[in-house]
Amino acid sequence: MRVELNKIVKKYGAKKALDVPAWLLEDGEVVGLVGSNGAGKTTFLRILLDLLEADHGNVRMDGRDVRRDASWRARTGSFLDRSFLIEYLTIPEYLEFVGTTFGLSRRETAERLEPFESFLPLSRIDRNRLLRDLSTGNAKKVGILAALFVRPEFVVLDEPFANLDPPSQIRLKQILADMAADPERSMIISSHDLGHVTEVCPRITLLQSGEIKRDLETSEKTLEELNSWFSDEGISSAT
Amino acid sequence: MLPPQRTYPLLARNQVRISLRRMKTRQGWFMRVVMGVMLAYSAFILLTLGFFFDRFSITLWPDVPPVDVVNRSLLAAFISLFFIRFLFQKTPRMKIVPYLHLPIPHHRLVTFFQAASLLSIHNFYPLLFFVPFWMRFVVAEGSVEGHFMWIGAIFLLIVASHFANLLLRGVLKQRAGLFYIWMSLFIATAFVDEAAGIGLQQSLSDFLFSRILSGEPTGLILLLAFSAFVVAASTFSLARSLRNPDGGQTATPARVRSFDIPEEWGLLGQLVRIELLLMWRNRRPRHYLFVSLLFSTLYLVFMLSSGQAFGSVAFSALLGLFASGGFALNYGQLMFGWDSTHYPAMVSRNVGFHTMVSAKLIVLQLSCLALFVTSLPLFIWLRPDLVALHFAFLFYNAGITSVLVMELATRNRQRVDIGRSGGFFNYEGFSARHWLWFIPTALPPVLFLQVMHNAPRVGLTVLATIGLVSLVFTSLWTRYFAGGLNARKHAMLEGFAGRAG
Repeated sequence: MRVELNKIVKKYGAKKALDVPAWLLEDGEVVGLVGSNGAGKTTFLRILLDLLEADHGNVRMDGRDVRRDASWRARTGSFLDRSFLIEYLTIPEYLEFVGTTFGLSRRETAERLEPFESFLPLSRIDRNRLLRDLSTGNAKKVGILAALFVRPEFVVLDEPFANLDPPSQIRLKQILADMAADPERSMIISSHDLGHVTEVCPRITLLQSGEIKRDLETSEKTLEELNSWFSDEGISSAT
Repeated sequence: MLPPQRTYPLLARNQVRISLRRMKTRQGWFMRVVMGVMLAYSAFILLTLGFFFDRFSITLWPDVPPVDVVNRSLLAAFISLFFIRFLFQKTPRMKIVPYLHLPIPHHRLVTFFQAASLLSIHNFYPLLFFVPFWMRFVVAEGSVEGHFMWIGAIFLLIVASHFANLLLRGVLKQRAGLFYIWMSLFIATAFVDEAAGIGLQQSLSDFLFSRILSGEPTGLILLLAFSAFVVAASTFSLARSLRNPDGGQTATPARVRSFDIPEEWGLLGQLVRIELLLMWRNRRPRHYLFVSLLFSTLYLVFMLSSGQAFGSVAFSALLGLFASGGFALNYGQLMFGWDSTHYPAMVSRNVGFHTMVSAKLIVLQLSCLALFVTSLPLFIWLRPDLVALHFAFLFYNAGITSVLVMELATRNRQRVDIGRSGGFFNYEGFSARHWLWFIPTALPPVLFLQVMHNAPRVGLTVLATIGLVSLVFTSLWTRYFAGGLNARKHAMLEGFAGRAG
């Protein structure tokens, strides 16, 4: 899916939360969104998913304004935070619901979940446990799983590695890499973990104070460059 | 560790601050005014009833002295109050949790919060009746010791009832449903006792409190022993629960019951299922469900059996409105507010507003049918003359009330915590609009039937027809609401996230 942000401005009072004159995600592209706390990453993703209204500008998916045409929702898998979960459902109930929103039958849902067994072993998990009774890490796994198992054309994940145990982080990286191999699937992954995000994403967009400061192809030097950027930013914000 | 003389003032100051802040943040000025007026009015009613009870009792029981009337009703009154407590009163356990990591001995926390829990409207309001009644009527009878023993017994009953509730809630935790069933059976038995003229409970109450008033100490000693037992037991239960501050919820989550729906029902079926699970698995929505069921069963029995006391057309219309529409009127107002914590889960997915509204309307309309069926036998048994009214309001509630309530629900932008208790004065999610909305929802059918009181059959037929026509056009309503939701989507998301109201 091709995603464009055009002249997006979002303000909270006098404070500019996001100011993106133009940003483009091509079909099949995978982008990592990085930035400090309050840089505007979540605002960026919320506007992208039409969960927040921009003061100016528009978001287009395959040329269609997301506010006017909701067809993108049937092709997008996203997980930003726990508000994406229905906490009083059990894991199977929730995943069945998500599957239904993508037109999947129970059998198809079960089949599509199988490849994710190593990430979240549904066969070994307490099926009667409500999502609200899960640990933060397991709840996050369910949210990520719900965004991915439906094989969407566009994936949006906010901080997918945070709160996951190391084995799950490794598995998730593998899953994302596998999914990114599909040339028709675009992905945007926001993360504070520079190591993970540079490993998974061939392109990095760096936000600071609501503005895109860097937009670079990932190379061997990217991690070093980002580390250096954030060290300098840390020093300047401390002084 | 802090010494006791510093611990208790510190805790008291903090609790006062928390209460004041909660009042300011959770309720707007309109709600505060409405609540203030309601509290003042009900206090006035109780005081008046206490001081001038003879004027009321003489019309209903002309040959029985006021003290005897009260004595024989005391047990029933306290049992009813206990039931209300169970529905609405909160336990202090959650208030203690934030202090557990501080250098304050747990037994002091328990002592403070147990004592502070007594500052409850459930304990204060009954006294507004009993104290003036005691001053005016009880002190005019029997010995001085008897007077003080009688009012002492009332205080003990309030204390015992208070701590028995805390104890019971602590013990039952996730098994509230079982308690409701037992309590309903108990009330049903009490009703049979009353309706069949046996009067066992009245005789027992009269015997106990007449003896106390005459200065006989046995009854008071028994009450004292019972009160001491429940205070000690609830304190022990609270102290023990602090060893597991999360209430064991993480370790042993609640038993979950689920149900499947036919796959052919698709997304609409899934959404209806999710609505039903929401109201069953979350405290506050479940509270509305139980209250509606109680109204359409137990309360309705008392209302319908009151006969001529509530014989007016307006009252009958209100009864019809609530008997089948009670759930829609109460629960339906927050139909979208209930989703506030997971609204992004809905609107970021391929769930059209049209399907979302359809599912919610189906639930509201089916609730009217379910409550109609539940209360129909009571109408047939106690007031067969109102069965036609009950039928007419089934269609009116399903067709019109549900739609009016949905109109309000689609404009809701306030976050609701579905896990919190639905106790008295928990109006989270409600605004002035919700209170004012009752006027256009309830008044038209009541006024219409009042106007048509000379031709009630015609009036009811018109009401039912309006409801039926509206039901036929449900798809139009659905489209209208879906359009409104789409237009207000971002404002609702912001409000539900607590960023705007």
